[in-house]
Amino acid sequence: MASSGFPKRFLPPDPRVEEPYRLTPQIALRVAILGFLALTVFAVLFLRAWSLQILAGDKYLAAANDNRVRTLSIEAKRGPILDVNGKVLVQNTAGFRVELWPADLPKTWAAERAELRSLAHVVAGVSVSKILALMKAHGGDPLTPVVVQTGLHRDQVYYLREHAADFPGVRIANSWLRKYPYQALLAQVLGYVGPITAEEYKALKKQGYNANDSMGQAGIEKTYDSYLRGHDGSAQLTVNSLGQPRSQAKLSVAPQAGEALRLTIDINLQRAAERALVAGIQAAHAAGEGFADGAAVVALDPRDGAVRAMASYPTYKPSVWVGRTNAKKLAPLLNPEAAKEHNYPGLNRAIQVGYPPGSTFKPVTALAAMQEHLLNPYDLLPCTPDFKAYGQVFRNWTPLIDQGMDLETALEESCDTYFYALGKKFYELPPDRGHPLQAWANRFGLGEPTGIDLSPESDGLVPTPEWRREAFSKPPYTEIDRTWKPGYSIQLAIGQGDLLVTPLQMARVYAMIANGGKLVTPHLADDVELSGAPGKGPQRVLRRFGGQPPQPVGVDPSALSVVQQGLYKGAHDPDGTSYGAFGDFPVPIAGKTGTAEKVMQVKGYPNGLKLNQSWWCGYGPYDDPNLVVCVVIENGGEGGAAAAPAAQKVFSEWFHKTGTVIQHASD
Amino acid sequence: MAIDFDATESRARTARRREVGEVSGLGSVLRRLDWLLLAALAGVAAYGLWAINGITLHDPGGSSLGRQVTYAAAGTCLFVAVLFVDPDRYRRLTRPIYFGTLAVMLFVLAAGAATRGSKRWVDVGFFTFQPSEFGKVLFVLAIAGFLSQRSRSIASARSVLEVVAYALIPIALVFVQPDIGTALVYSAALAAALFVGGIRWLHLGVLAAIAIVGALLVLWLLPAAGVNVLKPYQAQRLTGFTHPDNDPRGATYNLRQSITAVGAGGLRGRGVQGATQTRLDYLPEHATDFAFASLAEQHGFFGVSILLLLYLLVVWRGLKIVAGARDMFSAVVAGGISFMLLFQAFVNCAMAMGIAPITGIPLPFVSVGGSSMITNFLAMGILQSIHVRSVRRRG
Repeated sequence: MASSGFPKRFLPPDPRVEEPYRLTPQIALRVAILGFLALTVFAVLFLRAWSLQILAGDKYLAAANDNRVRTLSIEAKRGPILDVNGKVLVQNTAGFRVELWPADLPKTWAAERAELRSLAHVVAGVSVSKILALMKAHGGDPLTPVVVQTGLHRDQVYYLREHAADFPGVRIANSWLRKYPYQALLAQVLGYVGPITAEEYKALKKQGYNANDSMGQAGIEKTYDSYLRGHDGSAQLTVNSLGQPRSQAKLSVAPQAGEALRLTIDINLQRAAERALVAGIQAAHAAGEGFADGAAVVALDPRDGAVRAMASYPTYKPSVWVGRTNAKKLAPLLNPEAAKEHNYPGLNRAIQVGYPPGSTFKPVTALAAMQEHLLNPYDLLPCTPDFKAYGQVFRNWTPLIDQGMDLETALEESCDTYFYALGKKFYELPPDRGHPLQAWANRFGLGEPTGIDLSPESDGLVPTPEWRREAFSKPPYTEIDRTWKPGYSIQLAIGQGDLLVTPLQMARVYAMIANGGKLVTPHLADDVELSGAPGKGPQRVLRRFGGQPPQPVGVDPSALSVVQQGLYKGAHDPDGTSYGAFGDFPVPIAGKTGTAEKVMQVKGYPNGLKLNQSWWCGYGPYDDPNLVVCVVIENGGEGGAAAAPAAQKVFSEWFHKTGTVIQHASD
Repeated sequence: MAIDFDATESRARTARRREVGEVSGLGSVLRRLDWLLLAALAGVAAYGLWAINGITLHDPGGSSLGRQVTYAAAGTCLFVAVLFVDPDRYRRLTRPIYFGTLAVMLFVLAAGAATRGSKRWVDVGFFTFQPSEFGKVLFVLAIAGFLSQRSRSIASARSVLEVVAYALIPIALVFVQPDIGTALVYSAALAAALFVGGIRWLHLGVLAAIAIVGALLVLWLLPAAGVNVLKPYQAQRLTGFTHPDNDPRGATYNLRQSITAVGAGGLRGRGVQGATQTRLDYLPEHATDFAFASLAEQHGFFGVSILLLLYLLVVWRGLKIVAGARDMFSAVVAGGISFMLLFQAFVNCAMAMGIAPITGIPLPFVSVGGSSMITNFLAMGILQSIHVRSVRRRG
């Protein structure tokens, strides 16, 4: 107890008791290191915040705004297409479309797939793989929507709107759908509207097209897309991270509807023309031509080239392209196999198919021969059952004629041997004269596009020795194939051999004959306008198209008048080949039949079968022509039997007068 | 008995007590508080509450301010309570603290295994309690205890290895929860404890090398060899910050949105209404893991600076307390707590700005979460209680 009075600090250190803790220099150093570390760490944080917020703040602010603001495109109403009298051929109906906004889709792959699966379940005609393909094609911009389906059914719209929370990134947008009041009429000419393709987008991006736009994909819709499409508007919408709208869409640019396009087509004439083709095929069937299955007709104004009707058979309803498309219905238009099965309903035969013109070409031969001074139209040349030259025999279409004929009569009765003789003369011309028959055919617009405001257009083919050498230059062809033989010139004179022309090219030739030797540029568009009341004239024409002025081709008017006479007699003299259809017609018509042989691929004949392509081309009224009509009935047999009666129906509608078709053996 | 005590001895005892930092009574506690630290704490807590109100204002459940205030109040009570506890008591309770913590963590794991998922919480009715958060402070206390038991042989490799072995068990338990972020916080606290505890530089170097090699193995070498220690999403989150634009809608989506939010804040911030990244929910987890990004968006570089300066103040005072600690145990505890706060603040801020891996570490005093808030107040209380009992040298 006594010792307890002393303070412990005076005692020696007790080994069992811990030494009092003192801050050693070593520990002090370590604390200083920690302090330095803390300063460094905060310096790093400050610098990073400085660089993000002060140096790059604007960039991130823009990114944050992009996150939340969605610029919605408001589809402009596409312009209507009118016929020459203002009847609405194509208009619009309001519809819905489903869009996917990639930025607003679920952030995990699995959740995204699950959403796409349920979307495919709701929206008819859409599969997950199709959506993924669309998204891939769309290029990955998260702020441009992918249009998954247009023409949504109302039930589906209601469902998606009710369950919006389950479908982040899915938006229902208003859209316009094309509507065709006249159904299948003018189908191939009108074309259709479809989603822009990747290549088109690449090419048209600079002109303001968007990746999910629709645009005219064929026909008039394609040619005049820039007028019809209008200007899409836009609206701004604030969304949260789930893509759910957090504000009303605010209109920033109002959409501007497309302009109305007025065509030169007369829809009543068009209807008559399409019915005439069906009637022509039926007539061919009745005449025993069982393979008749395709046809085309062109009706145009010979004064300026305005196309009044253009039809191709078989045809289809353009509405199959609209909205919820049906793969089965589209197959004949897209799939080569199905197209062949249905005989190519999407093809515009009037401009896209070249046929041998047969006897409808004879006026060309006659004009060329007169211009080249190889023929005096009033000399009599023998018309015989056959024509012998260079050891070959060329037969006339009928063995019953054996007399001398002038040009008018030869055209009227379509004497082949008369023209064989002209062909032989062309062949025997010295080489320095060139190939005047082909040259005149070219001047009349054959072998080149007509320049109509539709594409694609077939060039046709006017064969020359040079062409032959080029076309058969490669094996297995031999020198014999490459050589131009006299028979080629002789066949060409009656529109046979390798010559190919489209119905529109031929209509242009006959327009030239009708208007006194001027070549017109066929055209379909009349003007773009602010349309007035339906069926009325334009409220205000914004731009007039019309064709270019007809170009004189330099034919002698007297030569032309002989040909005109021959064509008139063909329709009005009882021996004329068109007399059966037009002899009794109340309006004077001039025209020419054609029966062109062509090897066709038809069922049951793997090596093809030589079949007659039935032609008729002509115009009326004879003294003041205002309509040229050209008809082709594929495999339709003789021109007078199938094509001429079809053409007569077109004239009937045009002149509102009907004539009686007289049964008559012709051509 | 009392007769034997004379006034001299009583005075001497009091003097000794004072020298070794024994304190009792409200008055002496208040007198010896680190008022600057207290002010920094009050500042950061108030600032955090104000910020979280704006951050969570537009959330579906409404502002979390009410809840956070409750937690802060509970934390303040705990803070005041621990002021009156002599830290030496924790040292004497090292083993119960350590094994108690392990037991709770094992319980969490077992409950998690029963529900076949990640489970970090224990539901105690009114409050879902997150043992690994409270474990942070308990872990520091236990490690400090183990170190001070070996204070005489601290230079020996054996002592270091024993302490590291003790520490690795709770770290592993947290890691397999799985909660990599918290495991990293524990590891940081361990490193700080060993550092302040005075182990040799050589040992520190070896441990650091092992840690670096281990990280490389887990993140890079073993996956390349086909052994995945981490789940793919974990590895992606940890390494994704090195290439944030690689996969904008996948693993690094959060990161990209976070950087955008921070950057969009600019100098003055976009305000609570204008901060679209937060308000329209582009920034995920903005109330917890990405609270910093949200704060940065709403209050800009100014707001960020205020927060960082407050943290810096707290850390500075904490390190000062380490220097003035009464004994080694106190020094290690203070060092561990200060460094842990520094580490958490740094990793959370750096992660939101794309310069550190994405780990689920809450932003101290800001992120929504009761366990984290209360634990941080507890840690600050212990720091203050160490300061209160620190050695006073005559100036």
